[in-house]
Amino acid sequence: MQKTEELAEEAEAAVAAPPAPDEAPEARPWLWPLLLLAAATLPGTALFVIGRWGDEPALQAWRTICLAVTVQALPFLLLGTALSGAINAFVPARLFRRMLPRNPVLAVPVAGAAGVVLPGCECASVPVAKSLIGRGVPEAAAFAFLLSAPAVNPVVLTATAIAFPGSPAMVAARPLASLATAAVMGWLWLFLGRAEWLRPGVRHTGHQPGRSRWTEFRRGLRHDFLHAGGFLVLGAMAAATFNVTVPRSVLDTFSGSLWVSVLFLGALAIVLAVCSEADAFVAASLTGFSPVAQLAFMVVGPMVDLKLIALQAGTFGRAFAVRFSAATTVVALLCSALAGGVLL
Amino acid sequence: MKRPLQMVLLVLIGLGLLHASLFTDLCLRYVKEGMRPLVIASGVLLVLLGVAEALDVWSHRRPGGDDASREAGSHDYGDRGHGHDHSTAPHVAWLLLLPALSLLLYAPPALGAYTASREAPKVVTERDHFDPLPATSPVPLTLTDFIGRVQQDRDQAIKGRSVEMTGFVTPDRRGDGWYLTRTIFMCCAADAQFVKVRIHGSPAPPADTWVSVTGTWHPGGTLGTSTAVAALDARAVKRVDRPVNAYTDALPLAPSP
Repeated sequence: MQKTEELAEEAEAAVAAPPAPDEAPEARPWLWPLLLLAAATLPGTALFVIGRWGDEPALQAWRTICLAVTVQALPFLLLGTALSGAINAFVPARLFRRMLPRNPVLAVPVAGAAGVVLPGCECASVPVAKSLIGRGVPEAAAFAFLLSAPAVNPVVLTATAIAFPGSPAMVAARPLASLATAAVMGWLWLFLGRAEWLRPGVRHTGHQPGRSRWTEFRRGLRHDFLHAGGFLVLGAMAAATFNVTVPRSVLDTFSGSLWVSVLFLGALAIVLAVCSEADAFVAASLTGFSPVAQLAFMVVGPMVDLKLIALQAGTFGRAFAVRFSAATTVVALLCSALAGGVLL
Repeated sequence: MKRPLQMVLLVLIGLGLLHASLFTDLCLRYVKEGMRPLVIASGVLLVLLGVAEALDVWSHRRPGGDDASREAGSHDYGDRGHGHDHSTAPHVAWLLLLPALSLLLYAPPALGAYTASREAPKVVTERDHFDPLPATSPVPLTLTDFIGRVQQDRDQAIKGRSVEMTGFVTPDRRGDGWYLTRTIFMCCAADAQFVKVRIHGSPAPPADTWVSVTGTWHPGGTLGTSTAVAALDARAVKRVDRPVNAYTDALPLAPSP
């Protein structure tokens, strides 16, 4: 019985193959030997390096920070993938259609404001945004949610208030600038975004009739977690590299001019990849910088950083991640300069 | 990546997290104490997920498997025509093996003197009110409390008092003198900050040694203002075991009354 099914599928696949010749370059056959080679040599090299320099303080600090970012983010990633799996398997698509305004231009700010309900840091929001798209939410609205959720939720705002005591303007400016960035990016996607930047397949998960919802949930969770987890480790490695090679004490040399410091702290937020629940404390510790630059650090950080770029590249595809992160950085810097200029 | 491998990977990560958080205190080297329940919960969930996978694969392979599981298995493999196959995971997932094995077999130490000597000391938050110091001598203080009292307490209650502080040794980068240091996490080790008090009058013990220092404020600047130096004239330096709560700036043990 199963055999006939498989045969039928192969026949189906064979029928389906000819009309899609443009998928051939996607397969990239040269990639696999490279991957195999890397898989064969990397562990050995790593073992050698660890054995040789395992006690070097710099390497130990790198491993500690890499592991710390991973351990810290894994629970949130798991929460995000579980939530996304649950949305895929249990929440009917019409619920989102009913909750969001039909006009996508209006749906963008509504989805951005809805980010308030997802408590956690940015790792959770990527898989959730993916499942929202899978459930028929307009991409622009899902991206607005992706950007705003880690920055405007109550946990993060409370942390900001604690880190900047006696500065209510900062606690107000952060969600305002973040929401503005999210909305602008959503609208930008609406008018300039192209579907082909997204990896194919983003739009096709979701519960299909005749399947066990529980099995589907478990499968989606396993796949998404392993997938995103791998990219998380990649991002953590990059962040740890910058963290160890660029000590924070050399940063104060950039604090002189306002514009340079805004740009510099924006770039720092990207490479440090500090969790959005903690970045307010890091920003507060950068005392040599103007409040506007500190605000830019807190607005850019939850939206663009090395581990997020890696996660987005894994989830939505590299073409998307590069364009989206670059545009978000620019918009976030402008929005925080604007909000900071008015409020701080 | 085949399903049995995914299963093993999930269980390994779960066990790694549980090993670090439930069976040992390893996770406190990397994340703040408040994250611990979340890490434990994630570990349990991942192990359960791996076990559920194992049962699924096993009942699917068993010749007399029931209809439901056979049906589940068939649509599992039937997915592959779509190009978004949920039964295999991408190769990047192998990277998760590194933190899992690292936690289980070769956990790196907490950040210490190497990182502390490269970072600027944490700025102690402003305080308006300082409680009177207890009458005991020496007074056990945290480094943060000491620096706050030296640089902000206009009543100069710290003046002439003998205090006792515990931390690890960070040698000065220029090679002369050393700092008593504690690490503070906001969230995890990536945002670690360090509070440091310069120690005078005692040769530097080896880096990263945990010591308890007794002494009085080392005069420099005006006490009670930000010009005051965070430094101590040591009268006694004694080696201690690393306290349980080593990764916060807290008193190592409850001070005796």
